[in-house]
Amino acid sequence: MTARIAAIALNTFREAIRHRILYLLLVFAVGMISVSQVLSLLTVGSEEKIIKDFGLAAIEVFGVLTGVFIGVGLVSREIERRTVFTLLAKPIHRFEFVLGKFAGLALTIVVNTAVMAAWFAVVLAVRGMFDPRLGLAVLLLLFQCLLVTTLAVLFSCLSTPILSSVMTLALYVVGHLLWSLDLLQARLASPLAKTACRVVYYLLPNLGNFDIKGEVVHGLPIDPWLPVWAAIYLIFYGSAVLAAACAAFQRKELQ
Amino acid sequence: MSGGKGPRRLLLLAGGGALLLAVLVQGAIETRAAARPETSPLLYLPSGRYLDVAAIGFDGLLADLIYIWSIQYYGHYDIADRYAHLDHIYRRVIAELDPHFIDPYLIGALIMNVEAKDPEMALRLLDTGIANNPGRWVLAFEAGFICYQDLRDYDRAAVYFEKALAAPDVHPLVRRLRAAMVDKSGDPRAALRLWIEIHDTSDDAYTRQVAWNHIHDLKVAVDLAELRLAIEAWRARHGAPPRRLAALVAGGFLGRMPADPEDRPYRYDPARGAVDYTGVPVVGR
Repeated sequence: MTARIAAIALNTFREAIRHRILYLLLVFAVGMISVSQVLSLLTVGSEEKIIKDFGLAAIEVFGVLTGVFIGVGLVSREIERRTVFTLLAKPIHRFEFVLGKFAGLALTIVVNTAVMAAWFAVVLAVRGMFDPRLGLAVLLLLFQCLLVTTLAVLFSCLSTPILSSVMTLALYVVGHLLWSLDLLQARLASPLAKTACRVVYYLLPNLGNFDIKGEVVHGLPIDPWLPVWAAIYLIFYGSAVLAAACAAFQRKELQ
Repeated sequence: MSGGKGPRRLLLLAGGGALLLAVLVQGAIETRAAARPETSPLLYLPSGRYLDVAAIGFDGLLADLIYIWSIQYYGHYDIADRYAHLDHIYRRVIAELDPHFIDPYLIGALIMNVEAKDPEMALRLLDTGIANNPGRWVLAFEAGFICYQDLRDYDRAAVYFEKALAAPDVHPLVRRLRAAMVDKSGDPRAALRLWIEIHDTSDDAYTRQVAWNHIHDLKVAVDLAELRLAIEAWRARHGAPPRRLAALVAGGFLGRMPADPEDRPYRYDPARGAVDYTGVPVVGR
């Protein structure tokens, strides 16, 4: 089973790195990281903070966009091009196909993030601003991109690429605003509404778990267990979303 | 349909012409915009709390962008009411978006104090910064300096310098400034205690020398004040000043007879009951 998933993953990776959008996003990310140098000239003090903020934001935005734009077409494009039938005619389970597709895209995102992080490190090292804690922030951003990618893969199994992009990006935004549900729950009087609010809060992906940009940039203390908890959250929540994606693809009528 | 060279050139020419026209129109738009007052963008910028929601995790980056914009905006001297929204931009927007962003507190306070001539507004911004960043001594130091330099409010300055001293890695200058403020606010005894503490705990020869100079002059001031008080008490009881200063100790008006910093007795004129220091003050010499 692992060999079959690995074979699909490798093929997906090869296909993804030929995707023009990947290079377009990568060029934009590298450009944004580089432009932070120029922007820092427009400020009084704070050059280091601005360069770090821009670099981390570029890695996050372009990492998520890569996951979304490539992830949403991952399954639907195979169906549209009818290449899925060639694959599924072989002794491959449908869930292996979905997991292989996700693993291939995950590998692409890891490589993509590594390239962006390396360029970011070069920019910082040239200015003498390199801080090893930024590596931790990038790692958590990578976790976030992987979680968003699982959502993209789920929607790819359920809907069209455009609708999938919209829904994945909407969940990305919602995942960063979950604290507002917590505030809403505190203001609700009805215990039933409170419980409903709480349930929704826990069901939606909490992307705030992967955000330590502010702490790293300002040199504030970080809970040493936070990356571990974030990784565990990614494994469990990501597995749940992938399981749903596999189930959706299992039931999909392919014709 | 295959395109020949002629139509292609024509298209490129038309495109170039259209681009030129677009540049001209943009120039016209900017000329018209320059004639309008430039405050409108500020009116629509909501509080940082609301922007924080819209920032979806990029609040630090948004604070950077607004700070960069503010630097450009406040460097533009043609805008008439440019200081009207200072407090909103720095305290309500940038500080709420990124409470740990230190430079906007310092630069914002500088603009408020030096350019807008509103030190109280600057102190409000720095107070917000101190509350959000109790570990950053530079904010309380800056507030203390505004109270000292611009408001001449030495009591408030001393309070701010004391706050700065509670933070880690504070610059040694802050201790000296605090002692100086306590002195200027009219409490030479407390100031003397602080300068002695600085002298006894500092490793730096220059700081010890500065502290010693202040100790020298403050000791003279404190000793003379004590002696004059004791002479007045004597005069109130006996109707005339004592013949010798030693009588003040014997009569219980003084705990001990002080000597000047050079270890000489203070000069005393029994006819007038006036006590004086024969040396020269050293601070600022």
